[in-house]
Formats: sequence, structure tokens, C-alpha cells
Amino acid sequence: MRVAQALLALAVISASALAQEPGKVAVESYTLANGLKVHLVEDHSSQVVAVDVWYDVGARNERAGRTGFAHLFEHMMFQGSANVKKAEHFQFVEKAGGFLNGSTTIDRTNYFEVLPSNRLNLGLWLESDRMRSLAITQPNLDNQREAVKEERRMRMDNQPYIGVVIDSIASLYDRDKCFAYAHSVIGSMNDLNAAKVEDVAAFFKLYYAPNNASLVVAGDFEPAEAKKLIEQYFADVPRVPAPPKVNCEQAFNTGALRRTVTDKNATLAASVAFFRVPEEAHEDHPAVELLSNILGQGESSRLNRAVVREAKAAAAAQTLGLYGPTRGPNALAVLAIANQGVAVDSVEKLVAAQIQRIAAEGVTEAELSKAKNSFRSSKIMERESALNVAESVHYAETFLGDPLKVNTDLARYGAVTVADIKRVAAKYLQTANSLVLMIVPPEAK
Amino acid sequence: MHPLTSMRARALGLAPFVLLVVLPLASVRAQYPTTPPAATPIKAAVFPPFQEATLANGLRVVVVQSKKQPVVAVSLAFPAGAFYDPAGRSGTAEMVAGMLTKGAGTRTADQISDAIEGVGGSISAGVDADFLSVRTAVLTNDTKLAFDLLADVVIRPTFPEKELELLRTQSLSGLQLEQSQPSAIADRFFRKGIYGDHPYARKADPASVKAITRDDLLKFHKARLRPNGALLVVSGDITLAQVKLLASAAFAGWTGAAPAAAAIKEPPTGKATEILLVHRAGSVQSNILVGNTSWAPTNPRSFAGTVMNKVLGDGASGRLFMTLREAKSWTYGAYSAFERRKGLGYFVANTEVRTAVTDSALVELLAQLKRVTVEPIPDAEIDASKNSIAGAFPLKIESSAQVAAQVAAVKLYDLPAAYLQTYRQRIAAVTSATAQAAAVAGIHPDKAVIVVVGDGTKIYEGLKKIATVRIVAPDGSALKPEDLVVKGGSLDIARDQIVATSDSFAVMFQGNALGYQRSSLVKADGGWLLTEDSQIATVVQQHTEVRFTENFVMLSAKQTGKQAGKDVKIDVAYAGGRAKGTAATPQPPAGDVKSTIIDAEVPAGAVDDNLITTLLPAMKFSAGAKIPVTVFQSGKGTTITMTLSVIGEEEVKVPAGTFATWKVEMAGGEQPSTLYVEKAAPHRLVKLAIAGAPVELVRIR
Repeated sequence: MRVAQALLALAVISASALAQEPGKVAVESYTLANGLKVHLVEDHSSQVVAVDVWYDVGARNERAGRTGFAHLFEHMMFQGSANVKKAEHFQFVEKAGGFLNGSTTIDRTNYFEVLPSNRLNLGLWLESDRMRSLAITQPNLDNQREAVKEERRMRMDNQPYIGVVIDSIASLYDRDKCFAYAHSVIGSMNDLNAAKVEDVAAFFKLYYAPNNASLVVAGDFEPAEAKKLIEQYFADVPRVPAPPKVNCEQAFNTGALRRTVTDKNATLAASVAFFRVPEEAHEDHPAVELLSNILGQGESSRLNRAVVREAKAAAAAQTLGLYGPTRGPNALAVLAIANQGVAVDSVEKLVAAQIQRIAAEGVTEAELSKAKNSFRSSKIMERESALNVAESVHYAETFLGDPLKVNTDLARYGAVTVADIKRVAAKYLQTANSLVLMIVPPEAK
Repeated sequence: MHPLTSMRARALGLAPFVLLVVLPLASVRAQYPTTPPAATPIKAAVFPPFQEATLANGLRVVVVQSKKQPVVAVSLAFPAGAFYDPAGRSGTAEMVAGMLTKGAGTRTADQISDAIEGVGGSISAGVDADFLSVRTAVLTNDTKLAFDLLADVVIRPTFPEKELELLRTQSLSGLQLEQSQPSAIADRFFRKGIYGDHPYARKADPASVKAITRDDLLKFHKARLRPNGALLVVSGDITLAQVKLLASAAFAGWTGAAPAAAAIKEPPTGKATEILLVHRAGSVQSNILVGNTSWAPTNPRSFAGTVMNKVLGDGASGRLFMTLREAKSWTYGAYSAFERRKGLGYFVANTEVRTAVTDSALVELLAQLKRVTVEPIPDAEIDASKNSIAGAFPLKIESSAQVAAQVAAVKLYDLPAAYLQTYRQRIAAVTSATAQAAAVAGIHPDKAVIVVVGDGTKIYEGLKKIATVRIVAPDGSALKPEDLVVKGGSLDIARDQIVATSDSFAVMFQGNALGYQRSSLVKADGGWLLTEDSQIATVVQQHTEVRFTENFVMLSAKQTGKQAGKDVKIDVAYAGGRAKGTAATPQPPAGDVKSTIIDAEVPAGAVDDNLITTLLPAMKFSAGAKIPVTVFQSGKGTTITMTLSVIGEEEVKVPAGTFATWKVEMAGGEQPSTLYVEKAAPHRLVKLAIAGAPVELVRIR
């Protein structure tokens, strides 16, 4: 018995010293004649299937005076199509026991249904019906414009920090040379108020076409059956001329921006520093990502140790990725919420000192190893869900240029050295490359 | 009514409107279905196998094995939630949880976080009402480390004083942060409302957080974190044999009888509906919570309750969502739920609506709650809900961690052993009659607790027509209705900047001068009189006079003129917080003139809508400034909040000259506009452009 136990114990802890990797994602890719890209990932380990469509459109495609359209449009996509009445999209999916959503970022708009596997056909049909025949009507537009305004009120205008941050972040970029990234996803309420039904229809025609979209099906399905359904539902949706390219010439280190803003919703002062950083596919991206982890993620991060635990100056101090992945300039944000009775200036100085220290002295091998392990395990853990797998394939295709990079991207992070971390910290986390916001509560009355 | 508003209405009326654009379905294939494809047969619900064991020290163990990814997740739950906080020491359980990872065995807090984060894993402890749970997740290579750390933090926490003081500081900041979050404020008052003095209402507050001592934490830990009565759930790429081995080694020597069950006090019985209005000045939305205590998780009624609630408010096809969001556009979402508590759960419906529709939304919400208790739910809705719940089941058990959470819930809430295996059958057996019975038993719209967190100055009047209103501040202190009056006006203005002046503007339509607007502001009868004359082509001709006191209390608004050949007239007098009079103004879309009796409440500090540009010199513009203005629309009898936001600076050239201006977005009214306000005193309007219309007002002198 003792021997058996000892052997078992060995089995538990013996696994090789090699870094564990996520299971391989087997992707089968093809393109329909109308340009719709299709990626299938078959996996029968649960009875769940995810249907996930990405359109290559986001706030970056908007022009001045027409901001907020991509997101408003995402709402319109749930308002019915030729064969799906208003609100039926929700109802069909919910009745099947599934869930759905859509989201808009600067770079892309996604729509997904996660369903019990016997309803794959429903998910595909719903996506095809709205791709071919969305109901763009004045009542739908009016109604969703109000829903978007409520969303803004709930998420931004009635919350501490967020509204101020979103309203300010756009000034990180040059409105003339890079309008694509120099405005918020939610857009201006004035632009939304001015949106006419013709504008929305034109937007749909330009961007919501099979040749500007990609479909991933992941989970419990038979590929032959899925291909048959995809052909039947999507093949005759017409191709349209390719939309215009997005232009952005954003320079780094264009000078420090600093401002103090009163936030009527805040009860504790906070500082937020934004630094311009490069796009996802850029060779420096993995080092920036790991730097962000070392600086401000987790209990053992530099900021938590120095500013929260040692100086006791902040209730929280951490890094944030506010933008999601991009193909254009991105921003690394560093947020610190001052403790009661602590001046926000002093908190901001402590944060800046930690950043400068990394740029001057670099990080330890142990810190880099921690960041790599944390990144790797988060990638492994997210592979348990069909939707996350589908999103990973889309990510690889859109941001890295190849869906198969879903299986190889981790190597980029593994190759980062402590010298890389020091180099990118010095290159991007400098004052001349930053916008610093001091957010203060209204003065006590 | 501002002349440009009517100009805009006319401009739109003249333009032919293309309403509908639907893409042509080019050569629709015969086989493209025009109705949703039928479901293929649903697969038999196979609840993933799990294994159970009880260790020698009484610790129950559940293992859900999955080889999908090389990960292991462990949770260890104790009957040690906030329910067990000692009286006057609310927040003890939460603080114990916070301290567990801040020093244990021979490790310091930093050593614990270095060890677990170094391998890319995590460990954390948290509490809900009933349970304290410690969770750790690692890649399988690091499973032993996870068990070692878990054992240290639950058996041998050291509760260092230094860490306790840090956590206390953070908790106090956290409580202050919570005061800025309307949903957190609403939730606190709601639970106090439904549970009264029952322990489920307990929540840390600044006084209790300051009072808790290290000794309190040691006592709580000793009394409640014991192997008997606890549940260890492990999921991922691991077997029961491995778990037993790891747990036996890590937890060696850990003993202790099950902690005492606490006596459960009865919560207050519901009384006639009263609205608790939590006054949050300046709130742009109102958070509404309505509900009551319901039943224990073991109540067989919960299956029918689940089906009924699916119809009512669980998700985006529920009645609440369909009415409040989809039909009315009042909110981003509206939902309801039965929340589990081991002793006694509760029902809650929630929504966040824009301030102006708070009372209407509450009335509609209550009507939907009432309806589900008095009107049989049609079989079609029942069937749809049942199918949805059955179909959703595979989604709830997609990952091993989800399976583990489901199994843990069965054990922790003392649900029947076959609960998960028979779940779909129990749902299938629900009928319209049992669903309605569950609604009657679980939802009490006539004696529900209603909490509304919003701007009392704007919503009190509407709410008091629905039920008795009790008003409190976010910190719980009582307020009287008269406390809601905005003192000194809601508009922060520099009164001394208002001087007698006259302005002249050209009205430009698509770049051509089409008319004029002239205004003058003079001292009259100890106050101010604004006179304004406008002429826009032959469409608009009007004369306006607005009187107000030196303290900007409105006195009267009079307007006469013609718009598109029709007589328009506004004659409103302000007194005692009300506006009374008549208005005949053109109504969109066709511009028909409609006569209205105006008799409406006017909030303190509100200004007549004809006065906005007159007040510009007194507003405190600066980069990034946002200036809210409460505006009374004298042509309509309604109050709105408009916001003037400085969005930039611009040099603007108009016939009167070239000016450095603040570019100001004006939103909140029907016509969002951009104003260009001279930066130099007296900050007069230089140009005004209406969003989406080719109409501008430019200063000519």
C-alpha cells in the first residue's frame, strides 16, 4: 500500500519540467465563392456548439460626424431580418436554451450563438438571415438609439471613472492623422442623434457582406453536416465591393498630456496613465503584454507590492487593457485608486516611480517566468469553452493574419527575454508617450 | 420654443424621406428556409460522472475528471459566510477570507503570492451569504503546490497585525468606492429591506470594519473553518485516487467537529408596499429593485419557480426585457431572479432606467409582476421556457469547472442526491398551474420591498403617486421631501457676469442667409427682461419675452408669431415652483399647431428654454467642463436636463469677426447642437450649429 501510494504521488508530481501547452486546436478552413471565410473546429467533449461571426468593422471604420455607428449597428443586428421578426432572434436562441451576444470594439464586431449541439442549424440560419436581409427601419433605429443611450448612461455616465476615461482616451491619438483610433466606440451622442436610416443602410451595405466576414463553428458537430448547412444558408448572399481601407499614421512619443478632471460619480480620487503601444502583430507586443502583467497584474505585481501594500497609498493599482486587441495603435492603461485621505498626486508619483524603475533597471528572470506562466495558463484555461476556442481562431485570423496561429502564437511570448522587457518599458512607458488623467471627486460641500 | 427648432422640423418635413432599405434577395435558392430550421433530436442529457469520498477527518470530497486540458481547479467551501458574522461585527467572514492568503504556516503574504503566481496559478478566498470558499487553479504540473498552499491558508493562517491594518484600510476605501456605485447602493438597501434584522441583511459598514479585531478573526476561523461540514471539490485532469493522496498528505492532522448551525431568525413579514427612495443627487439613471423573500433552495416549488421566472424576467426574451427595453426603450435591461440562500432565498426584479421615466418604469414593472401572479401563463410560453431550460443544461456543464460548481451547489444547499440527474424531468413536469402557484407563493407585488436609487429632486413627485415614499441619503440617514430642493439653483453660474447686452445673428440655411435673430437683455422691474425677435424666410416669425429675477428665478415667458402660416403662442407664468399658462406650438412631424394647457412643477434652478444662450456669459467654461442645465420647456410644460460639454477650442470666423471660442456640445434636448462661445469675457455666443441639419446661427455684430 505504501509503495502504491508513493508511486501515485510520484505520478502526480512527476510530470516533465517542460512547460505545459494547451491542447491543439484542429482548424479546417475554406472560403465560399462569395468570399465568406469559414473555420470549423470539431470537438465532441461536450454537447455544446458555438457559431461565431466576426465582421471586419469597428469604430476604426467610422469617420468624424458619424461616430458610434459600428456599435449602434450591432444593436440593429438584433432587430430582425426578412424571416426573423423583431426580438425573435433573442427568442429563438433562448428557447433553444442557448445564449447569444454581440460586441463592438475599435477593430471588429462579433456576433455569436452558443447552443446545445442539436441546434447548430438555428445558429447558422439566424446569422445568414441577418447577413442577407437585415430590417433597417426608422422605428428600429429610434428604439436602438435609445437603448444605446441607456447603455451609455448605465455603463459610463452613472459610474465612477469610466465615463471620464472613455471621454479622454481618444485624445491619446491624432484626430487628423488617425481618426480611426481617436474616438470612442460608444461615439458621440450628437452623432447618434443625427444618424438617419439611410446612413445606417449605407453602413450595412458597405460592411455587412460575406466577403467582409468570417464564420467559426466550434464544438460538438459533424463537419459534413455543418458544411452542407453553411452552403445552403450562406452561399447565395451576394458579395459587395471591398470597403475602404483604414488609414492611421500614429506616431509615438508625441509629447506628454496631463489633465485633472472632476468626476461627479467618484468618491475616491484616481490616477490613470495611458501609454501608446503598438498593434497586436507587432514584434514588441508580446513583451508589452508580459510587461503589463509584471507591472500591474496579480498580488505579486510591482504596483500592488509597492503602491498598495508597502506605501498603503492606493486601494488598487493595476494595469488595464481598455481597447482590446487592435491592428492599429493601442494603449496600455495604469489605474491607481487613492486610499481615503491620500493625495492623488502622491499616488501618481509612486506609480510613475515603479514604471521608471522597470525602464531603468529591468525585471528579474523570476518575474518574467511568472508572467509567461500566467499568460500560458490563462490561454490553456480558456480552451475549455467552445466559444473561447472560436474567438481564439478569429483573433489569430484578424490580428495575426492566420487562423492557424491559434496554435503557435504562444511561442512569441515564450521567446521574450528580460532585455526585451527593459527595452519596451524604456521605449513605450515614457512620459512623452503618455496621457495622465487625475480624476478627482467633486469637492465636498 | 426656439425658432431653430421649428426651422429644423420644417427642413425635415420638406425633404423626402427614404424609410426602408432592404437588400434584394438576389436569386433566392429554393432551399433557403424562410422559417427557422427544426431542431434535430436533442441528445440525451448525460451528466458527466463524478466521484465522491469522505476523508477520515470528515472532509467531503468530490472529483470531476476531465482530460481536455492540463488544468486542475480546487475549491474548498465552509459554512462560514456573512450569515455567521457576529452581531456588530458585520464583515468578519469577509475579513477572515481576505486574511487567509496574507500569511499562513511559515509563508508570508508575499511568499504565498510569489509561489502561486510564479507558476501562473491563482489562489483566492471569498464569501457569500452562506459560505466561505477558497479557490485555487493551476496547471496539472503544479497540483501539489496548490494543495500545500490550500492546506496552509485554511488550517494555519497567521493573521499578521500589519496585514490586518492594510486590509482594514482597503476595506474602508472599498466601502467608500461602493458609495459611488448605484447598483451596490441599491442592493444594500434592498437586502436590508427584505431581511430586516435577519443575518442575511448584514453587510460590512465603516463602523463594523473599524471594530473588528484580530481576536474576532481567530475566533471565527477556529469556530467555522473545520474539515467536518466542509466540501472539497476538484475538477480537471486528475483522478479521485490522486486527490485523496494529495489531500490526505496536505490536510494531515487537521481535525474538528462540524461547526454549530446557527439559529435562523424569521425575516420581517411584508407590509404594504412602500418605496424607499435613495436620493443620489445628479444620478442620470434610476436603479430600481423590487422583491421579497421567497423560499429555501430545497423547496420543491423552485422548479416551477424557475420556469415561471424564465417567462417573467430571466433573459432577453422575458416579459420584463420585452416591455421595458424592447417596447418602451426605457432601459438597457430588465430582469428578475430567484436568488438562493440556504435558509431563505429571495425574489428580485431589477432595472436601471433613465431618470425621466422612473415612475412609468416602476408602474410597468409592478404590473408585470402582478400579471404573472393573477393571469395564467399561456401554455406556449410555458413550453418555450421549459425547452429553453432543458436546452441550456448542456451549456451549464460544458467545462469541468462548471460541472464541479453544479455538483458543489447540490451538496452545499442540501439538494436531493439525484437533483442534477433528474433536473430535466422535474422541469418538464411543470404546468401553467404549478407555475402560477409558484408565482403566487414567490412574488408579492402588493407588499414587496421597492428600492429606487436616483435623483430625488427629479423622481420624488412621480414616485409618490405610486406609493408612500420614504427618502434616505446613500448613507442611510433620513431625508424629508423639502431636503430634495436644489439649493440656490442647479446651475452653477457666475451671476455677476450677466450684463445688459444686445446681439444680432444671421440664420444660415445651407450657407445662405435666410433670416435673422436679434435679442436684447435689459434690467426691468428689479430683474431682467430678454426680448428676442426672429424671422426665418417666410417660415418663422416670432417675438419672445422672458422675465426673470436677479437670482434667476423664472417669472414669465411669452411668445407670439407665425410658423408656416400658423399662429403660435406661448404665455406662461412661473410662481411657487409651478408654471401655468397656455401654449400653441407646432408638433412634429407635420407641424400641426396644438394647444396645450401648461400646469407643471418647475424644479428649483430650472431655466426657461428660451434663455439658454442668454446665460452663456455666466457659465463656467473650461477645458473638458460639463455643465448640466435644468431646462423648463415652456412650450411643452416639461423639464429636461441638458448638458453643455466643452469638447475643444476653435477659432471661428463669422461676419462679426474672428473669435477664439470654446466648442461646446449641447445635448439632452430634442436638437443636439454645437455652440461656439467666445473665450474672452463676456463669453457671448459666436455661432450655433444644429447637428444633422444645414442650419446655423452666426453672429453679425
